[in-house]
Amino acid sequence: MWRRQRPRGAPRTFLRGGVHMDDRKAATAVLPIERFVPGRVVMPLSQHLGAPARATVKRKAVVTRGDCIGETGPDGAPIHASVSGTVKRVALLPHPTAVEGEAVEIEVDPSIQEPQWEERYGWQHLPRALIVERVQAAGIVGLGGAAFPTHRKLRIPPEITIDTVIINGAECEPYLTSDHRVMLETPAEVLWGAVIMAQAVGAWQVVIGLETNKDDAAQRLREAAQQCQCHWPVHIALCETRYPQGSEKQLIEALVGRAVPPGKLPMHVGVVVQNVATAVACYHAVRYERPLLDRVITVTGGGIVTPKNLSVPIGTLVDDIVAACGGMHKRTAKVIAGGPMMGRALGRLDLPVIKGTGGLLFLRTDEVRPDCYGPCISCGKCLDVCPLGLEPNQISVYTEAGRALETESYGVQSCFECGCCSYVCPAQRPLVQFIQIAKSAFQRGTALGIAVRPGAGCHD
Amino acid sequence: MTDPLPPRLVLSPGPHLRAEMTTQQIMWWVSGALAPVYLWAVAIYGLRVIVLLVSGIGGAVAGEWLVNRLRSQAQTLSDGSAVLTGLLLVGTISPGLPAWMPAVGGFLGLVCAKMLFGGLGYNIFNPALVGRAIMMATFPVAMTTTWLTPRLGAFMGTDAVTQASPLGIMKLEGLAKATEILGMGPEYYWHLLVGLRVGSVGEVSVVLMLLGAGVLLWKRIIKWYIPLSVLAGLLLIALCSGIPLFHLLTGGLWFGAFFMATDYVTAPMMPKGQIIFGLGIGVLTGVIRIWGGYPEGICYAILMVNAVTPALNHWFRPRRPHWEGAPS
Repeated sequence: MWRRQRPRGAPRTFLRGGVHMDDRKAATAVLPIERFVPGRVVMPLSQHLGAPARATVKRKAVVTRGDCIGETGPDGAPIHASVSGTVKRVALLPHPTAVEGEAVEIEVDPSIQEPQWEERYGWQHLPRALIVERVQAAGIVGLGGAAFPTHRKLRIPPEITIDTVIINGAECEPYLTSDHRVMLETPAEVLWGAVIMAQAVGAWQVVIGLETNKDDAAQRLREAAQQCQCHWPVHIALCETRYPQGSEKQLIEALVGRAVPPGKLPMHVGVVVQNVATAVACYHAVRYERPLLDRVITVTGGGIVTPKNLSVPIGTLVDDIVAACGGMHKRTAKVIAGGPMMGRALGRLDLPVIKGTGGLLFLRTDEVRPDCYGPCISCGKCLDVCPLGLEPNQISVYTEAGRALETESYGVQSCFECGCCSYVCPAQRPLVQFIQIAKSAFQRGTALGIAVRPGAGCHD
Repeated sequence: MTDPLPPRLVLSPGPHLRAEMTTQQIMWWVSGALAPVYLWAVAIYGLRVIVLLVSGIGGAVAGEWLVNRLRSQAQTLSDGSAVLTGLLLVGTISPGLPAWMPAVGGFLGLVCAKMLFGGLGYNIFNPALVGRAIMMATFPVAMTTTWLTPRLGAFMGTDAVTQASPLGIMKLEGLAKATEILGMGPEYYWHLLVGLRVGSVGEVSVVLMLLGAGVLLWKRIIKWYIPLSVLAGLLLIALCSGIPLFHLLTGGLWFGAFFMATDYVTAPMMPKGQIIFGLGIGVLTGVIRIWGGYPEGICYAILMVNAVTPALNHWFRPRRPHWEGAPS
């Protein structure tokens, strides 16, 4: 009820809600990124928000790493072959976020020599439009998980002025350490990527936001900022380790103190937010005109034998990654693409890593939350942790009673599904799921009552 | 050790983790926080306290079990709330009560106040206090005359002696005479604080209740808003009586403030609502004690303010920044 004042010297953070949780990053935070190339890859043609790409190769075609194999319109992100080899088939294959999608399967041919990308002349001083063009040609999407085409975020309408580019290195999801390792191992590339994006949107400053559990990376970035001579004001800011610090609007609030109204984008408050890995990809795209081919993922959790940070070609199958990490424990109950809070559970292992996959999490039976839940006991914990001040308890109770269309005043439409409410709920109610059901009821225009007897799940 | 294909992978939406504290664990932590209070009761009132506990908890558990059985729905006893209700009920009754009475109170409180409203999470009134109110109406003599004199070592089997409660003496005899009878010196207040006084089973030792409350505050199960505003509300009225310290240290005030009024289901959720809720309880308790017909009023005060909780939840909701053109 009283607004907290940030004590002098305390790390920055967003204003309300959020949870402190065990970050469980220790297993992989110290492991250097390893390279792993599988024997085949599956490249889905839909890897970003928007219309899927069209395949430009046929069966038996020979492709080289970096060749464009999927074209898109000006709003999409093209797909490039991440390995050299022969196209085995172009077919409908299992997709990690949709159920199925058209994909190109490529068998690796080790005899084809890996192409080299040369540095382009004058890459440090390109005009804005050319940077955006190169980023689009490279097929870069937001690598933090949302997979929104990056060039569309960099293409700012003329009436909008951007003053700040924020590089999101918060990595607030537990378990994940890929961004952390990228910042530790290639700080100069992160910086240059950030500066390039600042050039592209006309911003005069760059802020890199990290959580306090990554202060070693912050130190490396500071050193790199002194050495790389990019001549741009770059601030490296430590934020409190508090989930969801890495959410776009929360990070803007923490770092520059601006609130993004619901339904608006960060650019409306003069800010562009990009993920660390996206910045590195943009750097490669602009300096070498190298497309987005690999991504760093964290393979971790109690269900995997040897957790690793891996750099894999996009399209690598989960199966192959499991084999490369020593296999899976018997009691593995869930495989999650992304982090444990907002990631998606996978139902099978023959799915590819796509551009937006930030990690693979293998959780044992004892690590996952049970699926049963009890009645709401009105403890109010979800109200305390919601970063937006919504009322998940009410939304869940109304939705449970089949009255989802009455939940608008509790803020159901502005929820970004960070999962804090479900995380703290002592009755273990799947509050985010109730909110999703309510949202879809609004889309359909009717509420489908779901028949759940209170407490039925937990006590049978 | 490893298996190429797991038998089945669980598919469910995120988040895939959860915090440690579950409903069940909260109930057991509250029960555990009360343990020192009941051990002290056994120490000063004798082993019959254990008999009362078995009876009260048994009645509450039987009530929940029976209603679930009659409605042929899944049993909910494992959430621990029925046990906690029985435990809390016994805390509010006099230690000399016949052993079968708490069973009646626990049973009726659970059935009438909780299960008939839909079970855990749906009740408006605190089931333990409804149980006590029913006992008060059904066995008025037993409920008000069976106080025992506290004696350390009572569990060794010495005979119990009945005596009136401090608030009862205050109500019957008036301030001047009561001061004389009770001998309100520093030593008396010390006895009130540590719990060497006549009173209900769970309410006598303020120090031990503070210990339990400290555990609950430390585990973040309760927040300070409700208990402190209950104490503040009572203090406000007690200042009019001239003996604020006496009112602050007697009766079931601390037990009610920390363990009864903080019941999640029947208390408001937002801090402002909680403060008004607590002040209401404190003020009503004081009014009943000083001007009302009963010596102690916290039971009825909590029940009355419980009725206002839905309204408080409706009035005080999380504030969201207001944006032009945004939905709601």
